[in-house]
Amino acid sequence: MNKQTAGALTPLSPSLQANVKAIQSRFGGSTDLVIRMFRSDAAPEREIAILYVDGIVDTGTINESVMEPLMSMRLPPHALVKGSKLLEALRSCVVSIGSVQDIHALEQALQYMTDGLCIILADGCPAALTADVNGGDQRNVSIPQTQTVIRGPQHAFVENLRTNISLVRRIIRSSDLHVQVHKLGQQTHTNVAVLYVNGIVDEGIVKEVYRRLAAIDLDGVLESGYIEEFIQDETFTLFPTLLNTERPDTVAAALLEGRVAVMVDGSPIALMAPTTFFSFFQSPEDYYQRFDIASFVRIIRYAAYVVSIVLPAVYIAVTTFHQEMLPTTLLISLAAQREGIPFPGLAEALLMELTFEVLREAGLRMPRAIGPAISIVGALVLGQSAVQAGIVSAGMVIVVSFTAISNFVMPEFNMAATSRIIRFLFTIMAGVFGFFGIFISVLFMLIHLVSLRSFGVPYMSPIAPGPAKQGLWRDAFIRLPWWAIVLRPMDLNLRNPKRQANGKRPPAQRHSSKP
Amino acid sequence: MQQIGKNQLWILIVVFMIGSTPLFELGIKAKQDAWIAMTLAAVAGLLLTTLYVQIQKRAPESELAELYKIHFGRWIGGFVGIVYALWFAYESMRNVRDVGELTVMTLLSFTPKWIVMLLILSAATYTVSKGLEVFVRVVQLLFPIAAFSYAFLLILLFISRLPKIRHLLPLLEHGMMPVLKSAFPDLLSFPFGQMVIFFVFWKHVSEKKMISAISYWAYIGVSLFLILMNALTLSVLGPEISALAALPLLEVVQLIRLANILERLDVVVTLLLLIGLYVKITALYMAAVFTFTAVTGMSYRYCVLPIGLVIYASSFLETNNTYHLWIGLDITLKIVPLFQFVLPLLMLVVGVRKKYKTKNMAR
Repeated sequence: MNKQTAGALTPLSPSLQANVKAIQSRFGGSTDLVIRMFRSDAAPEREIAILYVDGIVDTGTINESVMEPLMSMRLPPHALVKGSKLLEALRSCVVSIGSVQDIHALEQALQYMTDGLCIILADGCPAALTADVNGGDQRNVSIPQTQTVIRGPQHAFVENLRTNISLVRRIIRSSDLHVQVHKLGQQTHTNVAVLYVNGIVDEGIVKEVYRRLAAIDLDGVLESGYIEEFIQDETFTLFPTLLNTERPDTVAAALLEGRVAVMVDGSPIALMAPTTFFSFFQSPEDYYQRFDIASFVRIIRYAAYVVSIVLPAVYIAVTTFHQEMLPTTLLISLAAQREGIPFPGLAEALLMELTFEVLREAGLRMPRAIGPAISIVGALVLGQSAVQAGIVSAGMVIVVSFTAISNFVMPEFNMAATSRIIRFLFTIMAGVFGFFGIFISVLFMLIHLVSLRSFGVPYMSPIAPGPAKQGLWRDAFIRLPWWAIVLRPMDLNLRNPKRQANGKRPPAQRHSSKP
Repeated sequence: MQQIGKNQLWILIVVFMIGSTPLFELGIKAKQDAWIAMTLAAVAGLLLTTLYVQIQKRAPESELAELYKIHFGRWIGGFVGIVYALWFAYESMRNVRDVGELTVMTLLSFTPKWIVMLLILSAATYTVSKGLEVFVRVVQLLFPIAAFSYAFLLILLFISRLPKIRHLLPLLEHGMMPVLKSAFPDLLSFPFGQMVIFFVFWKHVSEKKMISAISYWAYIGVSLFLILMNALTLSVLGPEISALAALPLLEVVQLIRLANILERLDVVVTLLLLIGLYVKITALYMAAVFTFTAVTGMSYRYCVLPIGLVIYASSFLETNNTYHLWIGLDITLKIVPLFQFVLPLLMLVVGVRKKYKTKNMAR
């Protein structure tokens, strides 16, 4: 599991000086390596050393829970006789730390130190103790930045894996929540955690996740996006086959649905698999709001997604090929707008689309301070003036703007991003072949969608193929009241496919009319 | 082997059978009794379907070519299989050509036909290369779109009070003979006899016991729909205009005018028909590939593209639309009873050959 220790190991030497020298040389004399040597009152003739990497440990904990007990310890006399006995005695002094381990190899020592643990070496002992003093500066848990809700928990993951796991643990308070940590990355040794709820999850999928993770042999894993590209089913697709989120409640919900979550140290974004196309249209808020509102909003999202893909294409197809579909007055007004426009509809649309994409990217990357400038440039100069200057028609500006706004309705950013590229293909096809082009594009998209899988689950289930179990639709296009959602979603081979017993509908509450 | 479920089977039957059929006013030779001719042909088609299902039951794990091998022996059966593969490819080509003609006629007047046919066939090739599972899933996604659109059109037709019963009267003005003549063999061959293609797909249905019930009910349902559409077109246009129009359904829809918004819905209809035609092209194309590979033992993957190219190339053989329709409605319909009726019946009569008996009947 641990790639560094899996290689040839150098045993620690009995000499403290030799060990410290070796560690120092392995670190290449890095200045953040801290070595504190001291002699304890109880055994003044034996030197003890504490080594750690500055900045990733909590210095307060080291002083209070490691240094102090070691300095002031009382040792039974026999501890001084034999070399390695001293270490055992030391261990009993620092137990207040929590996790303390024995190690015997230099590489292990290095690994633990870079993980934020401190190493305790004693003269005459060919072994070392590690004490967990992880710490250092971290971002605090704060409100979600990208997946906001009005009603619901308001905390988001941070860059620290431990904190992230604890956030999920606080929601699913059960020993059935299993967490397995792997190390990935030859250089970064990033901790990658796999989470699932035992007793619900399909074990085949957990095994498959492990298998795919084990096949990764990259030098560094800096974000969950690295992992995503290795463990997804299909590389050459615009559609994401793994959900991602920065919300602990979303991860908890996914785990309860029988999914497996993968979290990467250093990334506030967790991955969840398997998933279906329809999962990307579900916001956590759907489950916190009333079901009727949630269903309505969900339908709006599907509609907005379709709009964000096909609206410019339909506009072009109608205005250039099938004008007869429009009511006459609208047709005349559109024709009047287009009178002075030098470009064909397709060129006009592509121009505006590209302009918007540039504006959007600029808004994302530029320094905060110049923020207002972009809205002035975008709204006034490029919108209004472009129309006045006769470069694009007003109708096209409306279409492109509404398309752009529709794209922001999606709760999952990576699904929203797909429509940005697909839209261009649709627009071009519509410009060349009109409605027939749109029809062909939709066909190709549908064929592609139904051929996708996410960890063996067909991407378009439970619509195509239809659900193997009845009642899976209750949480796909709409959301029924909670008591009606008996089954966990997705056609998985779950150990426990039911969320609750049938027939839990609350009885109608009758009140007497008397006050 | 890729498998399909029972729901997928009935959806496939329904969408495949609808295809482009509502586009044409079939059986118009019987004038205002065209829908009666349709009904008679549908009943006869149900008998054919029963025949097919019975044969399939003898060896549920075999598809068309394998069934012929079981009944006629390896060589004759194999030959018949190849002929069937050619026929499927031919029928697929006809639908490709239909798409070309229809699109150029209604949607894209100035676009060359070859590129339209290339596009629809490339979508079909993409589907066929992905396999049966993907195909039926696409059909599952298209089905609700088609169903809602047809329902929408029907509602609009009735709201605008276009259908008039008097167009369907008098019943049986010239007796039964013209009706029977137009029903047999033409209407039986197309659309109802097309059920023969499911010999290729039944093998892949996971719930074998459900095949007969699902097939019958899907067939009955889709027949009723086709008869309804036929009668509706007739009742809106009347027998004279229906007989003259190249695409009667389009004429019908062009009459819908509601609230100054819902005008000129013929684009919607064309797209609806394109959905049906796409399903038909792909199903026939896939059936050709399945049958061909079952006879020759070649790998499925290597057969997809060559057969697609054959279909594409042959779609240029007919010089124009009139010629295309003449071949389709006159020549082809005289030959297809061989595939739909004569050969299956022969299969029923001949019975399973001895050496296959134990192997296939035991299951």
